[in-house]
Amino acid sequence: METGIRSAAFQTFIEATSGIMNSELQAWKDGGGKVMGFFCTTVPEELFTAAGLAGFRMRGTGSTSTELSDACFSAINCSYPRHTMNQALEGHYDFLDGLVCINSCDHVRRVYDNWIRKLGTPFVKVMSLPRKVGQPQIDWYFDEINKLRKDIEAHFSVEITDESLRQAIRLHNEIRALQKQVYQFRLPDAPLMTGEETLAVMVAGTAIPKPRYKVLLEEFLKDMQSHKETHKGHRARVMIIGGELDDTEFIRVIEEQGALVVTDSTCYGSRLMWRPVDESYDDPVKAMANYYIYDRPSCPRMYGDQPRRIAYTRELAKEFRVDGVIGERLMFCDQWLVEHYMTNDDLKEDGIPFLAIDREYLLSGKGQLRTRVQAFLETIEGLRSEQS
Amino acid sequence: MVVAGVDIGSATGKAVIMIDGRIVGTSVLVSTAHPAKTAEIVMGQALEQAGLSSVDQLKHVVCTGYGRLNIPYAKENLSEISCHAKGAHWMVPSVRTVIDVGGQDCKVISLSPKGTVLEFKMNDRCAAGTGRFFEAMARALCCGLEGLSDPANQGDNPCAISNQCSVFAESEVVTLVNEGIELENIISGINVSVASRLTSMSRRVGIINDVVLTGGCSKNQGLIMALETKIKTKLIALPHDPQIAGALGAAIFAAERLEAETGNKCP
Repeated sequence: METGIRSAAFQTFIEATSGIMNSELQAWKDGGGKVMGFFCTTVPEELFTAAGLAGFRMRGTGSTSTELSDACFSAINCSYPRHTMNQALEGHYDFLDGLVCINSCDHVRRVYDNWIRKLGTPFVKVMSLPRKVGQPQIDWYFDEINKLRKDIEAHFSVEITDESLRQAIRLHNEIRALQKQVYQFRLPDAPLMTGEETLAVMVAGTAIPKPRYKVLLEEFLKDMQSHKETHKGHRARVMIIGGELDDTEFIRVIEEQGALVVTDSTCYGSRLMWRPVDESYDDPVKAMANYYIYDRPSCPRMYGDQPRRIAYTRELAKEFRVDGVIGERLMFCDQWLVEHYMTNDDLKEDGIPFLAIDREYLLSGKGQLRTRVQAFLETIEGLRSEQS
Repeated sequence: MVVAGVDIGSATGKAVIMIDGRIVGTSVLVSTAHPAKTAEIVMGQALEQAGLSSVDQLKHVVCTGYGRLNIPYAKENLSEISCHAKGAHWMVPSVRTVIDVGGQDCKVISLSPKGTVLEFKMNDRCAAGTGRFFEAMARALCCGLEGLSDPANQGDNPCAISNQCSVFAESEVVTLVNEGIELENIISGINVSVASRLTSMSRRVGIINDVVLTGGCSKNQGLIMALETKIKTKLIALPHDPQIAGALGAAIFAAERLEAETGNKCP
C-alpha cells in the first residue's frame, strides 16, 4: 500500500491486513495465548475477550485458488467461504484453538459442515442467528450466547463472569469509539486518510488481539496529530456499502479513478463500530443479545429491517457529504442482491447517484471495475455540471 | 478544428475524425490482440478517408473502450458510457435512453433532455447478451451473424433459451438443433432471449422515449425486432453507423475540450 502516513502502528495494521497470521497475533500465540476464529460481525466477540481468548475474524486473504475447497463447495458458492476454506485446508488456520461459525448466510454456514469433517480444530461450534430483529429473536440469541459461553468455559477451563463480560464490552466499546475517531479524519473536504488506509485500520482490528489493538489504535491516533498531508483534488466523495469487504486493493482501484472513499456501511467498516453496546444493562449477555440483533446497524440478512438500513446509509451519506454511493456485492450473495436495487431506488429520491458492482472475493476484472467507476464519476461530474 | 475519437473495444476498433463538427473520416476493424496496434491501424484508415496523413494533424484526440488506457496519441480517455451517450445524443438530440450492445458488455444509459448521463446499468461480468454471445450462437447454428440478423430467419414461435450463460446457452441451442426444432424458431429464440435481458436492464433505469440502439449488435435486425416488441417502443434509427457511436462521442468530447482550451466555438 502506498501511504503518506508515518506511523509504526499503521505499518502494523497494514501487515495484519495483508495476510492471515501477523506479528502481533504470533506474539500472542508465543506467549501462550489462545485464538478463536469466527465468521461474521454478528458473533459476539466480547465473549472471547472475556474468556481471555483473541478473536480472529476469518478471511481468505492470500488465497490464490480454491482447488482444495472446491472439492466440497459448488462453483456457484460465494468465493469468500471458498477461499477462506481453501486457506484452512492449506494449513494457514492451523493456529486456531477454536472456531465459531454462524448461519449468517447459507454459504458461510456450510463452512461449518465441511470444517468439522476435514479439519482438526479442537473446538468448533455453530451459532444459530435469527432472521428477524424483534424481542423473541433477541431472547433466542440471548440463549445462544449463553450456550456458547458455557461451551467455551467447559472446553477452555475458564470462567466467564458477568464482570469479565462487562470489562470486555467496555474494552470493545472503547475500541469502537477510537475507530469512530479515525472516521472523523475523513469528514473534511480534504481528508487526512483515504478509504484504502481506513480499511486497513479496520481489518487489523479483527486480526490483532484486542488489548494490543487498542494500544496501537491510540498510538496511531497520536501519530495522526502530526500528520498534515491531506487528500485533495478528488473527483467525488464516495460511500461504499456492502458486505464482506476486507480487500484494500478493491478500494485502491476505485480511488485510483479519482474517487475518495470517505465512509461506508460494510462488515469491516462502520457497521462494526458506529454504535456501542449498551453498558447500562444489568445482564451483559442481554446487552450483547440486544446489540447484535437490534442495536447495531444491520445487514440485509435480517428480515424487514431495510427501512432502518437505508436510514443508516442516508445518515452517513449526509454526515460525510457524499457525492455518490457504490454498492458492492460478492457474486452469488443472495443477501445483498435485492438490497442494492432497493437502495438504488431510495437514493434516487435523494438525488444521490448509485452504482452496483458485483465482484469476486479475489479482485479480478480490474478493467471492468475501472470502466464502471470511471463512468460513475463522469456521471456525477456531468450531473454536477448540468445542475450548475 | 480537426479532432478525433477512437473506441478500442474487445471485438472491434472504431475511429471517427471530425472537422468543425462534421464527420470526415470513419473506420471500423476487428481488434488485434494489442490495443495500441488496433488504435494505430484504425486511425490510419480514418485519416486516409479524411484526406489527412498523420495523427499529428489532430488537435485533440479522446479515446474510449476497453483499450483506452494504451493509446499513445490520445490526450484523454473517457468511459464508453459517456461516449456512447454523447455520440447518440449528437445523432438524435431527442434521445433519452441508449441501449448499447458491444462485444463483451451491454449497457443501458438514461439521459437528461440535455444529453447528460443520469444513470446507467451494465451487464454482470459475463458474456450473456453481448456480441460474444451472438458469435457463440452463430457458431453453434453454423449460420453466421448475418443468419441471426436476417428478418426472414425470425421464426414465429421463438424457442425459450433459458440459460443466460453463453457457454451453457450454446449447449442448449445444440440440444434444440438435435431435437429437430426449426432453425428460424431457434434464431428468434436467441434474439428474444437477449432482448429480454436488455429489457430487464432497461427497466432498472426506466425506458423513456426516444430510445436508440448502439454498438456492433445494433446491426442485428432480428434483435431490433425482438427488442421493439419487448420494450413496446420503436427504436429510432441513427443517421450514422451505430457501431461508431462511442468513437463519435469521443470525437465530440475532443472538440469540446479543444473549445474549452482555445475558446474557439465549434460550428
